[in-house]
Amino acid sequence: MKTITFDQIKTSSIALELDELNTDAIYTWTEDDFAKYNVPIGNSRFPITDYFKITVEGEANSPDEVKMIMNGDMGRVKYIGFRMSGGEVIVNGNADLHVGAEMSGGYVLVNGNAQAHAGREMSGGKLEIMGNTKEFTGASYIGEWRGVTGGEIIVHGNAGKQCGECLTGGNIHVMGDCDILAGIHMTKGTIEIDGNVNRWPGGQMKNGNIVIHGKLGRLLEGFVENGIVTDPEISGKVYPGKYIQYTGDIAINGKGGLYIDAEKNRDKLSAYSEGNDEYISLGDY
Amino acid sequence: MEYILKNGIVYDPANGVNGEKKDVMFKDDIIVDSVSDNAKVIDVTDKIVMPAGVDPHAHVAGPKLVVGRLYRPEDSRRGVTQKTAIERGESGFSIPSCPTTGYRYSRMGYGTVCEAAMPPLEAKHTHEEINTIPNLDIAPLPLFGNNWMVMEYARENRIDDLAAFCAAWMKISKGYGIKIVNPCGSEAWGWGMNVHGYDDSAPYFDVTSRQVVTALAKANEKLNLPHSIHIHPNDLGHPGNTGTTLETLKSIKDIKKSTAPTASKRDQTVHCTHMQFHSYTGTNWKDAGSGAPEVAKFLNHNKYVTGDVGQVTLDETTTMTADAPMEYDLYRLSGLKWANKDIECETAAGLIPCIYSPKNPVNTLQWAVGLELFLSIDDPWQVCLTTDHPNAGPFIRYPRIISWLMSSPRRMEMIENREVHKWAEKRTTLATLDREYDFNDIATITRAAPARIDGYTDRGELTPGCKADIAVYDIKPNEFDPSKNPEEVEKAFSRALYTIKDGQIVVKDGEIVSTKPSHTIWTNVTGLEDEEARIIEEIMPFFRQYYSVKWNNYKVHDHFVPNPIRVDVPIRQ
Repeated sequence: MKTITFDQIKTSSIALELDELNTDAIYTWTEDDFAKYNVPIGNSRFPITDYFKITVEGEANSPDEVKMIMNGDMGRVKYIGFRMSGGEVIVNGNADLHVGAEMSGGYVLVNGNAQAHAGREMSGGKLEIMGNTKEFTGASYIGEWRGVTGGEIIVHGNAGKQCGECLTGGNIHVMGDCDILAGIHMTKGTIEIDGNVNRWPGGQMKNGNIVIHGKLGRLLEGFVENGIVTDPEISGKVYPGKYIQYTGDIAINGKGGLYIDAEKNRDKLSAYSEGNDEYISLGDY
Repeated sequence: MEYILKNGIVYDPANGVNGEKKDVMFKDDIIVDSVSDNAKVIDVTDKIVMPAGVDPHAHVAGPKLVVGRLYRPEDSRRGVTQKTAIERGESGFSIPSCPTTGYRYSRMGYGTVCEAAMPPLEAKHTHEEINTIPNLDIAPLPLFGNNWMVMEYARENRIDDLAAFCAAWMKISKGYGIKIVNPCGSEAWGWGMNVHGYDDSAPYFDVTSRQVVTALAKANEKLNLPHSIHIHPNDLGHPGNTGTTLETLKSIKDIKKSTAPTASKRDQTVHCTHMQFHSYTGTNWKDAGSGAPEVAKFLNHNKYVTGDVGQVTLDETTTMTADAPMEYDLYRLSGLKWANKDIECETAAGLIPCIYSPKNPVNTLQWAVGLELFLSIDDPWQVCLTTDHPNAGPFIRYPRIISWLMSSPRRMEMIENREVHKWAEKRTTLATLDREYDFNDIATITRAAPARIDGYTDRGELTPGCKADIAVYDIKPNEFDPSKNPEEVEKAFSRALYTIKDGQIVVKDGEIVSTKPSHTIWTNVTGLEDEEARIIEEIMPFFRQYYSVKWNNYKVHDHFVPNPIRVDVPIRQ
């Protein structure tokens, strides 16, 4: 097992781009190799050792045997864990854009917040963010119509707009709240949101499932209510409780599943009316 | 500076040189027949030497490209490279950035490209883009087929006025020739409609495609233009469109070609572009088939017609055309994102991404139809290699198409191993065609024929006095069987050993070693100045009423074309 530790010396107002330093590329590197490496910053390159004190301990025969530990505020360090296929990356601080983007294996942990495009177009592995993420978490590249195809993303805080855009596989679990258009254009996979959702989840979704445990602000018109389901099993996982089940987005003949907590969203039931509390008793529905 | 390319195997179809071992010499930017003893010798012993490539139809600069890049950022991230001391960073696959376009053409050994659709209203921007494409001479073709004034003149059969209008507009837009796209159809699109067939009228103009095309063909010959009309017929991409295509070509038959020296280079009076998209039979995509044998037969019997193929390369690409209603049809078929652009009184445009999949029956049919055309048209001087970049695929796939054309076993392998859908075998004659192009044929369809068809007198050949635009490829043709080595063919034509542009070595060993500014080739008709002034005066009230720009902002001023190659065409001998 090889442990590579990046201790931040100074920060840069222009972001460092670490796309060339994933575990696949550096599992054989020594401290001397890092000393020779110039990291892209804007349109120039500078010695990475100006920004990090890098310590290498142990040996690795494959990316799976590498553990990268990044200590400090990586709020201006982009592409951490980009395209990695194995190993472990632990960021003890915030991460900038594209953390874990296009990774196909391994584990990335951010003990802080992550900027936009976290886990973009992942095909495998696990990305865990202990804080919040900005927009396009687990999404496709801008304009692309194929997003995450596999793997798992867990956000312990809140997620920004268009989380899971064009999801075509894999799972995203947001433990906090989620902004608008979660799962827009998704075709496969599951998005689970523990907190509240602002508006319009699942716009133009073709397939896949979205489960919302909190309160939903506004639903799109293209979702057809199927009634209440109890303890639904979705992709092999049981979600205890009662959920209002919708199918959509019918605007594009979508057959996706949207499940929202029935208790917290009783105002969404078609049978609901003000002042008729008996009628909305979930047991009677 | 003098150079000798020593002992190469030269293919120069325009001069009847077919694989002869000889030296090619150039001094500064011109090919010469002798040089002094001080000439620098470049040893290319037994390697292929050809004139630099000439692309007769591609979309490389202009407003459509900008829209494409804006709404397809996912395409721009493909092919990204870091800048070097010589090159700017590259980006893009089907819609590469402007510098990338120049670099990639140079690596393939190309030196000239015809930008196939320039709306006069957007000509300034087209020229701005041309100026940022290095290493290429670019001839932009202004769009005339849906221009309101053109339709008026065509309806009233005012050919002299139409000719003066075209001459004036080529000056104003700094354009090279007359391009016609879905005549009357793009105007109909302004009303949410299209025209179907050759004799359908544009709404509110009471003029048919036939009238517009024949009028423009007559005007073209009247002006003695170096290039013929360059037409994208109606009904592109629709099953059963072969009839429309042939009707269009037949209508030009009786129009006499200009005998002026400026038009003498070419043989044709009509150039039909991306013929593959116009050669389908059937009534819908379920019963669609190939019309390529019929179209090829027509070309084989009619030398006044030339064409380029628009070969599908089976890639994910971006379609963009002034045939806006067709793009809407494509959008309805694929459901992918769609962009539309209206160019006031001149034309329209549409764009959508397109994934040509070898597993898709229709895409495979299109792929096979293109190859059928190449292999069924007998005279390589009548057909040019294009992909209608980026519509049927990016231009960087030309080497792959060359490998398909040179290797019947490779084509059969694709069909038999089901690398492509079975429709290639069942609905086309491709599997029965065992013709293989040789290097001379390749030099013809990529250099000599496009140069002759476009009417260039200074390129596409290695004649002393011509521009020193030369490509050398790392293949020893006398020791090499392209039929058995299609991958090697593709590799060699993708990365030229040398590309020489205007006597400057711009590529060595497949890498860019220097760059030079592009030139803009445009046509200046002389002798019609009075008629042009009268026409402009006549049009001005209309222009002020309907255009959103002022006349002085409409014209392309000289500083937009800093490196012109002006082709002077005297109308009165």
